[in-house]
Amino acid sequence: MSVSTLADEIRRPVEERAPITLLRILRNEYFLYAVSLVLFLYIWDWVAKAHILGKSLATPHQVVTELARLMTVKLAGKNLVGHIWDSTRRVLVGFTIASVIAVPLGLLMALNRYVNAIVKPVFDIFKPMPPIAWISIAILWFGIQEGSKVFIIVIGTFVPCLLNSYNGARLIDPELYDVVRVLGGHRRHEIVQVCFPAAFPAIFAGLQVSLSVGWTCVLAAELVSSQSGLGWIIIQGMRLTKPELVIGGMAIIALVAWTTSLLVTGLEKLICPWKRQIEGL
Amino acid sequence: MEECGRAGVKISCEKLRKMFIQKGKIQVHVLEDISFEVFHNEFVVILGPGQSGKSTLLRIIAGLERPTEGRVLLDGKEVKGPGPDRGLVFQSYMLFPWRTVMGNVEMGPKLRGIPKDERRKVGAHYINLVRLDGFEKHYPHQLSGGMKQRVGIARAYANNPDVMLLDEPFGQLDAQTRYFMEKEIIRIWETEKRTVLFVTNNIDEAVYLGDRIITLEGKLPGRMKSTYTVNLPRPREHTDAAFLELRETIIEESQLSL
Repeated sequence: MSVSTLADEIRRPVEERAPITLLRILRNEYFLYAVSLVLFLYIWDWVAKAHILGKSLATPHQVVTELARLMTVKLAGKNLVGHIWDSTRRVLVGFTIASVIAVPLGLLMALNRYVNAIVKPVFDIFKPMPPIAWISIAILWFGIQEGSKVFIIVIGTFVPCLLNSYNGARLIDPELYDVVRVLGGHRRHEIVQVCFPAAFPAIFAGLQVSLSVGWTCVLAAELVSSQSGLGWIIIQGMRLTKPELVIGGMAIIALVAWTTSLLVTGLEKLICPWKRQIEGL
Repeated sequence: MEECGRAGVKISCEKLRKMFIQKGKIQVHVLEDISFEVFHNEFVVILGPGQSGKSTLLRIIAGLERPTEGRVLLDGKEVKGPGPDRGLVFQSYMLFPWRTVMGNVEMGPKLRGIPKDERRKVGAHYINLVRLDGFEKHYPHQLSGGMKQRVGIARAYANNPDVMLLDEPFGQLDAQTRYFMEKEIIRIWETEKRTVLFVTNNIDEAVYLGDRIITLEGKLPGRMKSTYTVNLPRPREHTDAAFLELRETIIEESQLSL
């Protein structure tokens, strides 16, 4: 068999070029995305102006104006960027602390049954506890400053980080380790050449979940007690009866959380270029 | 065909018995009284239906499993674990999905600490031997089944083993690709001779490939049934009268045990 026939064995996507017609535009998914968003904003605007939910729903325009105002006007000594940064910093610090401890610990539990036997029972006790249940005790321990918020985030993000790296390493096909053994590799080769790379996708899935849990936690912590951050902005909006402030805060959180999640996805693509393609995503 | 047995015994299995024991109880009795020899550069096929313990036998010779009784000798020395002197090709390929074709093929030399330049050279040589030139940078998921197993074969070869152990390597391929790969494995073997132990459940494949065929009984524990020497010149033809005759003989004699 020549190389060219071998090349034919590779599946190639079929490229198609057809003339642009109205039907094709209507079928184009990006076009439909745009339609969906415009429709959503329009209905929102209509619901707000018709006072269907009373006067407590701001129009999209009011929200945008309010956010633009917050860029220049300081709220509790900080403009919008300052508050975004406060929340993001809390999430990132907590998330980093948790993942740096939980990911290696999860791998270690999967690789060593003694470590597993010691850590797992304690972990199983804390696992089902919602992280927000820790807020009160966290404030008692660490006060109402940064410490308690970071603590909540660490607690919340720790669980998915650990579970995913643990399961990722445990579910590796044992025959992959056999390959390394047959080729003359030692235990450390099995760990470095098989366990780590094979667990990467699961670890990243865990980091993604952790990140979204992290945002939930920071919000809850800021709602309970804080002087800054996006959760605090939302609370301010509620206290001042300014729905545009509440909705603006919610929108910004969604946007920032989405951005951080994109960053993790980007990092994953950089580290495991082989993974996404497998799933055809 | 090359005469076998002149250059001496390479692998010798002595009264192998294998039981999987858990909590002091025998769970499965897989192999019983397996004794045979494989000569230097001989191509031996172990033929048996599913559940005859043939994969376990290969894993014992690879050193991945310990026999419950008996021993395996390689060049007269007892096998106590896996080692680079034996290469294993897996039915389900077992390529590292995170490594490219080259990354997979050069794995053996890499684990033995061979410098990058050198192992790239070795890798390129064996990629060429299995005719995958130009695919060095592809990832396994971009390859077809036949190509994946070529990588599996190249990876085992690149570690320069004395013995190649193949565990139903073409079992997951479609019939056409399978015929083609059977030709290929003979070509590769004739280019770079090794002692080969090839496990299959396919009688046709066994007659096409083997210098010698060892059949196992079709129920557990697997026992040796018969040995056939295949005195057909290569390249063999599936429609050759002598080929068909031997095939018939093996089928008839195998049916008796089912």
